[in-house]
Amino acid sequence: MDIETARREHLKPAVSPSPLQSLLQDSTLPSTTHPGVLTLAFQIQHNLQYQHSWTGLRLHTHSPLTNAPFPRPLLSGLPPHRLYVHPDEQIELLKEAERKRKASKKEGGGNDVLKIEPEPEREWILPTRLSEKWTLGRLSEIFDGIGLVPPDAETARQEEDGQVNPWRTTKRIVLAAADSDSTVVYYIVHDGVVKPRQN
Amino acid sequence: MAQTLVTEPFPISRIANRYLIFDVNIISHIRREHNICGVLIGTIPNLSQQNVFLGIPMQLMPEETRLLVEHGHAYIVEDADAHKTGFMEMSREDRLAFLRQMDKQGVEMALDAKRRAADKQEKVLKEKGLERKIQEKNLRRTDITPNPATGETSVGPSDEKSLSDSMPPSPTVGSARGQKVAPYFITPTTSHPPLPTPPLSPAAELPKVPHTYPLFRHLQSKGYFSTPGLRFGCHYTAYPGDPLRFHSHFLATGLDWDEEFELLDIVGGGRLGTGVKKAYLIGGEDPEAKASGKEDGSDPVRAFSIEWAGL
Repeated sequence: MDIETARREHLKPAVSPSPLQSLLQDSTLPSTTHPGVLTLAFQIQHNLQYQHSWTGLRLHTHSPLTNAPFPRPLLSGLPPHRLYVHPDEQIELLKEAERKRKASKKEGGGNDVLKIEPEPEREWILPTRLSEKWTLGRLSEIFDGIGLVPPDAETARQEEDGQVNPWRTTKRIVLAAADSDSTVVYYIVHDGVVKPRQN
Repeated sequence: MAQTLVTEPFPISRIANRYLIFDVNIISHIRREHNICGVLIGTIPNLSQQNVFLGIPMQLMPEETRLLVEHGHAYIVEDADAHKTGFMEMSREDRLAFLRQMDKQGVEMALDAKRRAADKQEKVLKEKGLERKIQEKNLRRTDITPNPATGETSVGPSDEKSLSDSMPPSPTVGSARGQKVAPYFITPTTSHPPLPTPPLSPAAELPKVPHTYPLFRHLQSKGYFSTPGLRFGCHYTAYPGDPLRFHSHFLATGLDWDEEFELLDIVGGGRLGTGVKKAYLIGGEDPEAKASGKEDGSDPVRAFSIEWAGL
């Protein structure tokens, strides 16, 4: 036995452990989480990170509000651009941009373009499979466990986020539905009656 | 437009399981005050294929009827029964009064038609430059009118005479010009009058509504107008104000709390909604919240709005 361990220490690992192996060894994940939904969460995470350039993706197995375990793991992350602008906020942003444009025109600047680029916001993501069936009850269970804005990984950023967007008044979640052919579609689900964007 | 006062509760006629309103004042009243549009279904009887612009009666969804009745704005009248009892038990005085009324209308219409014909004649003569003829005619007319003693120039007395019985009026009513005018026979097209507004019957049961009613009630309580949603493959299309002024905001589908739905429906609804600048809305009543919310009066309905994320 001693010889065996000594030999292992001398040898460099031929290959790094497979993701599955490291996942199984990850003791932070609760054993109650079904591996199927966990794999799904990783699939969505991968998709967001590498196909949609999201950053700061985090897996949440427990509710930040109640600390009770979620029915399934959720993700949170930061999109490269703002994912959702409430129509009222959009009007406000347009007015602001118009004011700035007029100001710069007075100063002689030739900037004629209305530029609206709101800061991206962290979003909740609910990974699902297209073949699943949902009910209103299960959906509201998810919503009851989340806050308005997902908690950030770094607590330092938390304070910066202290001035949350005043327009973000209802909970929202990005519903990610993965099909068996690994296509993933994303839909924003708002908690309550929220008027639509005028795209 | 002059605002006509509608007294609440007003009757809603139930005919063959349809809820209908026949009074245009009530129709505009519920649209203005209670955010209920209904659907106009009346066509012209002899041109029933003309269905672009429909008129009264207005058909209400059972949900709309239920809401109005629950809030005490309206009550249901079984129209077939109301007609049967109303006409069978009508008193002789009422019947005669109504017939007299009809005769009076007939005479008025006949006189009106005659007057219009005369006006037309006058106009044509004027166009042809034959004003002299008109003057002659007018002279003749003024010769006759100051002669009330003949009894033929006034309409009133002979009219009343003819109506002293329930017989149809005799065609001997004189016109203002001393000529005989046959009164028109009017076919009554409404039943209120002659029937009085039916009385409120508190025993009538509430209209049966589909399981999507809680969502409908929820949207109404938030001030939305809801119209039937078949055109968009949902239960209701919800408008933030009068549908004539606003685009609709939501394609609403009502569900039971534990009713399973396919995610593909969410994807389809969300995509369709975003394509027409709307959001797809699903919602239903939480039975637990309903039980606990009875005391504090909170709305047990939970709704979710779905939009395409654009990823």
